Amino acid sequence: MQDLINAVVELMEEEALELTKKYLGDGKSGKEVFEAYQKGMAEIGARFEAKEYFVPELILSGELMQAGSELIKPYLSAADSAADEKKLGKALIATVEGDIHDIGKNIAGMMMDIAGLEVKDLGVDVPTKTIVEEAKNWQPNIVGLSGLLTLAYDPMREVVEGLKAAGLRDKVKVIVGGGQTDEHVCKYVGADIFATDAMVNVTYAQKWLGGK
Amino acid sequence: MIIIGEKINGTRSRVGEAVKNRDADFIRELARRQYQAGAAYLDVNAGTLPAREPGDMVWLIELIHEAAPEAILCLDSANPEALAAGLEKAAAYQPSKLMINSLSGEQKRIEGVLPLAARYKTELIVLGLDDSGIPETVAGRLAVVRRLVGLCREQGLADEALYVDPLVMTISTNTQAGLVTLETIRAVKAEFPGVHLTCGHSNISFGMPLRSVLNQAFMALTIQAGLDTAISDPENRDLKAMALAAEALLGQDRHCLKFNRAYRARQIGPPA
Repeated sequence: MQDLINAVVELMEEEALELTKKYLGDGKSGKEVFEAYQKGMAEIGARFEAKEYFVPELILSGELMQAGSELIKPYLSAADSAADEKKLGKALIATVEGDIHDIGKNIAGMMMDIAGLEVKDLGVDVPTKTIVEEAKNWQPNIVGLSGLLTLAYDPMREVVEGLKAAGLRDKVKVIVGGGQTDEHVCKYVGADIFATDAMVNVTYAQKWLGGK
Repeated sequence: MIIIGEKINGTRSRVGEAVKNRDADFIRELARRQYQAGAAYLDVNAGTLPAREPGDMVWLIELIHEAAPEAILCLDSANPEALAAGLEKAAAYQPSKLMINSLSGEQKRIEGVLPLAARYKTELIVLGLDDSGIPETVAGRLAVVRRLVGLCREQGLADEALYVDPLVMTISTNTQAGLVTLETIRAVKAEFPGVHLTCGHSNISFGMPLRSVLNQAFMALTIQAGLDTAISDPENRDLKAMALAAEALLGQDRHCLKFNRAYRARQIGPPA
């Protein structure tokens, strides 16, 4: 199925979807076809890191993956579907209270999704209480707090304190994300790491959660 | 084109370092160079944690005033305490001409920033967003701006003191983003002819290759839409050349004098 992988990587939507239908019709298993998409997505991620692909290509690849998955779903066995569930772990992400910047958060969420995490995005300007409550109820492995403004650091710190108070801090890894985060901010907030680009999250998520 | 020099911003890593290490020479040089390159206003953003931001803001203002006493200070913070400390300092130097960056429709900013602008009679950058975020539509942004212009008028601020920023989102995640900004500029200008229109252009190209080309094209388009002020790097020759070219082409530069003078001064075109 190298032609399908290539069509995904080159973002030729019509061709990729035609090939998907053809292979599924020819009796390839849903799992095999899905794996072709995953290989394609991995190459797209690599091209993004190499600055050959940019944000529009990532977004289009997300759409293509979505469309492909819709075609593949009926061909997945129950066992495949269970295995297809996001198995790496769960990530809860939000832009903290007082900040409304969301480009970085959205890209980070998409990259984690593609990398196999189940991602729940609470949106922007999310109150501390909401984030902590959701962490209690949904029990994520990772909490990603995003913010571009200086004023975002205090709410980030409050979320970490809230997680501590709820007895959750040693159960989750906390990432602070934003173009101007650094070690100083990370320490101030009490996070585990800081991320200034989307791939950092993926690298650490895979490390922490025992993926490859 | 009125230029608000954007470089003294602690969220840029080299400036952040200079603020933390109290590198006065670095800040003075940045102020002097921007002013010489044509920035009438200099944005001042300490970018530090809230607890130390007021002190850092005052320190920056002292240095900028030393290096470029004629430049108008544009105090950039969402933290009212930092703004209050900075305004007190800046007003001692230059009470008649001050700017705050920025007011938005967020309740906290209306309560924290607007009274300071009224008290010090500052100019004010007004953002087209509120507590629900950045409206996606032109009508949504115009509604926020309309409400804020009204609040500013109630506080005795003249329309001419307001610099409306329609906000710029990247085209990499939404290809309509540029159009929304351009149409918002037109709509604000039509409804409030007295206000200035400003924006930072570089957001338009976030996540894209060849960002400088996109930024320059967007500069020309925003000027045609009615923009008269840019929050930018005044030392960016290409961006400045594009702004001057657009003004000359749109009949906003009498006898093309500004364009030709900038050329003769080697501010645009091939460097000397």
